[in-house]
Amino acid sequence: MNRSKLLPLAEAVQRYGQDGMQYASGAALPVGSDAIVFGRELLRQGLRHLHAVFHCNTQQLNLLAAAGAVDRAECGFSGLEVFGFANGLRRAVENGQTVLEDYSNLAMALRFLGGALNWPFVPATVNIGSDIQARSAFAPDEYPAKLKIPTVTDPFSGRQIGAFSPLKPDLAAIHVSLADPLGNAIMLGTEWSRFELSRAAKKVVLVADAIVDTDCMRQFPNLVRIPDVVVEAVVHHPFAAWPQGSPGLYDVDESHMKAMNKALASAQGTADYVRDYVTGVDGIDAYLDRIGRDTVERLSATATGFLLDPYRKWIKTPDEVATMLGEVEDMTA
Amino acid sequence: MSTQHPYTRQEMMAIATGRELRDGELAIFGVGLSMLAGYFAQAHHAPNIRAMTEGGVYGATPVGGLPWGIECNRISANATSFTNAIDALGFLVASGRCDVGIIGAAQVDKFGNVNTTGIWEGDIGSTYRLPKTRLTGAGGANDIACGAGRVIIMVTHEPKRFAERVSYVSSPGYLDGGNAREEYGFIGGGPSAIVTTLGILRPDPVTREFFLDAYYAFSSVDEILANTGWKLKVTPNVHVVPEPTPEELAALRRVDETGALRKQ
Repeated sequence: MNRSKLLPLAEAVQRYGQDGMQYASGAALPVGSDAIVFGRELLRQGLRHLHAVFHCNTQQLNLLAAAGAVDRAECGFSGLEVFGFANGLRRAVENGQTVLEDYSNLAMALRFLGGALNWPFVPATVNIGSDIQARSAFAPDEYPAKLKIPTVTDPFSGRQIGAFSPLKPDLAAIHVSLADPLGNAIMLGTEWSRFELSRAAKKVVLVADAIVDTDCMRQFPNLVRIPDVVVEAVVHHPFAAWPQGSPGLYDVDESHMKAMNKALASAQGTADYVRDYVTGVDGIDAYLDRIGRDTVERLSATATGFLLDPYRKWIKTPDEVATMLGEVEDMTA
Repeated sequence: MSTQHPYTRQEMMAIATGRELRDGELAIFGVGLSMLAGYFAQAHHAPNIRAMTEGGVYGATPVGGLPWGIECNRISANATSFTNAIDALGFLVASGRCDVGIIGAAQVDKFGNVNTTGIWEGDIGSTYRLPKTRLTGAGGANDIACGAGRVIIMVTHEPKRFAERVSYVSSPGYLDGGNAREEYGFIGGGPSAIVTTLGILRPDPVTREFFLDAYYAFSSVDEILANTGWKLKVTPNVHVVPEPTPEELAALRRVDETGALRKQ
């Protein structure tokens, strides 16, 4: 039977979060489509010792690392693009709190693909010959590193190439623009590696900016790149990627991106940020109030808004989503 | 911007980089200044350039200024296709289909190897110790450096950025020089130019060591030598790069709507 997988954010984290888990998120670049509300909730609930697998660093990883919740991380890109270095992650790496293993952006996507296909390894024609292959932060005394990207022989040509290890994260929190209650999802903008990640992770929680009726998915099935069969739970959360952007829904919040990154540069700034934007904010309404309703309105007036037009008629109102959540709770009571 | 030269060093670097691109090429641009250089070329002399970002944004031009990232809404408002990383960096770059890429660098060496991972005091040594300063990592630049037909490196010309040998090779140039790169069988040809805020360096076809090929109207050979951390060779044919034309500057500034290249 098809049943709703809608869960409130806090309950999804309670149900699927574990100390020490291999946690994948981000899966898009640093200024967009990051399920950061899930990371904020991980912090609220005090999860620790995470092994973070982020295709690219985002403000979520920046925050989690700054707050001391990340022991190990693997990334292709660990900055914040035009917003500069990720001060929180950087501080955690420089003081040894977080051990960061480097790959390239294609490498991370291929490692998710390898996990999704249950392959033993993925042939590597990139990253070889560079220090990404020779140096391993997880095995710092090995030089050159033996098990990070070992050299293998192409059985057809005899050429020496590398082998990437596949990734199968314990949990992936994946940001999507639109999801239905069953867990079918549409991503507006580049999907980056969310398609592969959704098949590589052992469990997937979708974090959706908006909830649509399943009829929307039936109208655009070619665009549903994450089908419900691989999804455990759906969290509805407007502005789920803020201060990062979400194509079709809202732009990057330039001033908060900068203020947040500045705060994460110090332990005190991080504590203040966590107080003001994590532990001090309870629920969606409080979160939108904290962003500022006029800011919400301004960021929603995005030049990409037309991308959402074909789907608007299926979008559920906050009250409708609340009613659906209530029904789910009744069923599980 | 000086009174003699009505453009900034960064603008000259972007225009010189853009001039390296040819019409019709399949091209991939990194985030930031390389994107401005690439879209300048499209706006000026290469209208049919086939540009993409590493996340798989096709057919788009920036709207509202320099995109904050390569998947930012500023590069998502007029795309004709959104795909994914395996498609753009894999099917179109690692495959060998991409003609040219533009990447940035925190540090570059005489064989065109790029470091964007970290700064260490002295050699890292046999144990991979913590960096003094952690940088952004390779991102897609390693993939572009391995796979694109040729690569243009854009970098601010300062002694600390131009090292005899980078402390960490994030993205391979010609590695130890000579035939060292060939050992890995990369389908991409390696860096064809290092375009800086002071001039243009190109690789010797045999030794693969970069030499000074050209300087700008506002710079000089001596200034470039003083700002390069290795003993830079100078070609006998060293020459001055033509200054930006009014048309070039106008095209660049249309792309760089928020003036990212005009900040000093």
